[in-house]
Amino acid sequence: MLELNDVSKSFGGTPVLKQVSLQLRGGETTVVLGPSGSGKSTLLRTMNLLEVPESGCLSINGDSVTFGATLTRKQVAAIRRRSAMVFQGYNLFPHETVLENVAMPPVLNGKADRATARARATELLGKVGMDHRLQEYPDNLSGGQQQRVAIARALAVEPDYLLFDEPTSALDPELEAEVIKVMVDLARERRSLVVVTHNIGFARRVADRIVFLADGGIGFDGTPEGFFASDNERIRRYLNVFDAV
Amino acid sequence: MTDFLSLWADSLPQLLAATVKVTVPLSIIAFVLALVVAVLATAMRLSRIRPLQWLSRFYVWLFRGTPILVQLFIIFYGLPAAGITLSAWTSAIIAFTLNTGAYAAETLRASVQSIPRGQLEAARTLNYTGWQTVRHVIAPQALRIALPPLGNDLIDLVKGTSLVMVITLADVFQVGRQIAATTFQPLALYAEVAVVYLAIFTVLSFLQSRLERVSNRYIRSSRA
Ligand SMILES: Nc1ncnc2c1ncn2[C@@H]1O[C@H](COP(=O)(O)OP(=O)(O)OP(=O)(O)O)[C@@H](O)[C@H]1O
Ligand SMILES: [Mg+2]
Repeated sequence: MLELNDVSKSFGGTPVLKQVSLQLRGGETTVVLGPSGSGKSTLLRTMNLLEVPESGCLSINGDSVTFGATLTRKQVAAIRRRSAMVFQGYNLFPHETVLENVAMPPVLNGKADRATARARATELLGKVGMDHRLQEYPDNLSGGQQQRVAIARALAVEPDYLLFDEPTSALDPELEAEVIKVMVDLARERRSLVVVTHNIGFARRVADRIVFLADGGIGFDGTPEGFFASDNERIRRYLNVFDAV
Repeated sequence: MTDFLSLWADSLPQLLAATVKVTVPLSIIAFVLALVVAVLATAMRLSRIRPLQWLSRFYVWLFRGTPILVQLFIIFYGLPAAGITLSAWTSAIIAFTLNTGAYAAETLRASVQSIPRGQLEAARTLNYTGWQTVRHVIAPQALRIALPPLGNDLIDLVKGTSLVMVITLADVFQVGRQIAATTFQPLALYAEVAVVYLAIFTVLSFLQSRLERVSNRYIRSSRA
């Protein structure tokens, strides 16, 4: 269970998250939707402590932190271990090969020796269809391939929750499809995914749950069926933008 | 013409001896120490501790903002007045280390800052410690970016060491000057000194391009 309680975060005095509370059960795919600037990234990044809110608390599977006081390194590491982020810009390490990108994190985390980590990395890269390019450097890969490696890298640190921040927004449609396919596979395995996306099709087909952010708060939290049938005016307006495209 | 050549042949051993005894070791020692100083100054500059940032900025400001010649004079001729007397060698090493270190610190800082923020966020989400991030993410990339400008700093340093004659060290230039004065052949001797510097420069720029090629192997454009 990933739990946010009364989490508030502002940037330069402008509130972005206003006392947001949310509980995400393990084994579910949660899709976070909302207009641009509604705080989706901030919410997701808070779960991995890439952003630290001013108040509230966060707990993931028994590890918890309360915001407001300074967090110790140990607290941060304990919470961070529970999740891993996949970024819109992939953020692979360009000086490491595909294999090293995926094998190094568990080694540096002290979770595996090099041989074990390499074997496991090869396996994970197979899962995302990238085990044929193990010795390649990221710059020589397409965006879709880089993002699949980034997903394997996130899996390599064995997080309880996988966090995706617009993982396909930088990709052409055919490359987007290959990344979405990997994510669908993960969802089918009942991994715990939290996905910020503008891919409404993914939300409709794959989400167990939709969280809609608006005005720094949660405007909707429920099933995709409920969400897409909602007659809430903000949700309709948000969805109309996509229908128009 | 034969005069010219025999003069070159006669003076070459002395010039090479001065090169091997002063120019090269001074350059190498000062450059290695300058890299250490630059890493420290960069770490201080990018630390979150204000006084350390200020100290680093002050150091770079001071040594980039004054001529190396003035720095040599202050250290060798000025400091004794304050009770600190250093040998010519020590003075030269200190001056060239601190001078080159200031330039190298600027190079390193710019290189570190040019690493995309996303890389650091990736390191954080993967739970790398601060040291692991420096060791495995920042340093390898920053060094590659810094390599060409650091090579230029080294080349500037080698040429700059020709100033040590003002503090009595007999480097290749000073020895050339002495021979020119006794043989009354300034053109021949100074041209010969220039050739020695060119030889060093050629070796260094060859090494520089080799090193760059190796360190750039992951960049797409270099493989295409
Ligand atoms: N580091 C920051 N400094 C200042 N303001 C920020 C920062 N990060 C986000 N913001 C602001 O907070 C608000 C919410 O940002 P956030 O990135 O969470 O929105 P989002 O829902 O992810 O938007 P998008 O769909 O465009 O990605 C925006 O107004 C943004 O400008
Ligand atoms: Mg965002």
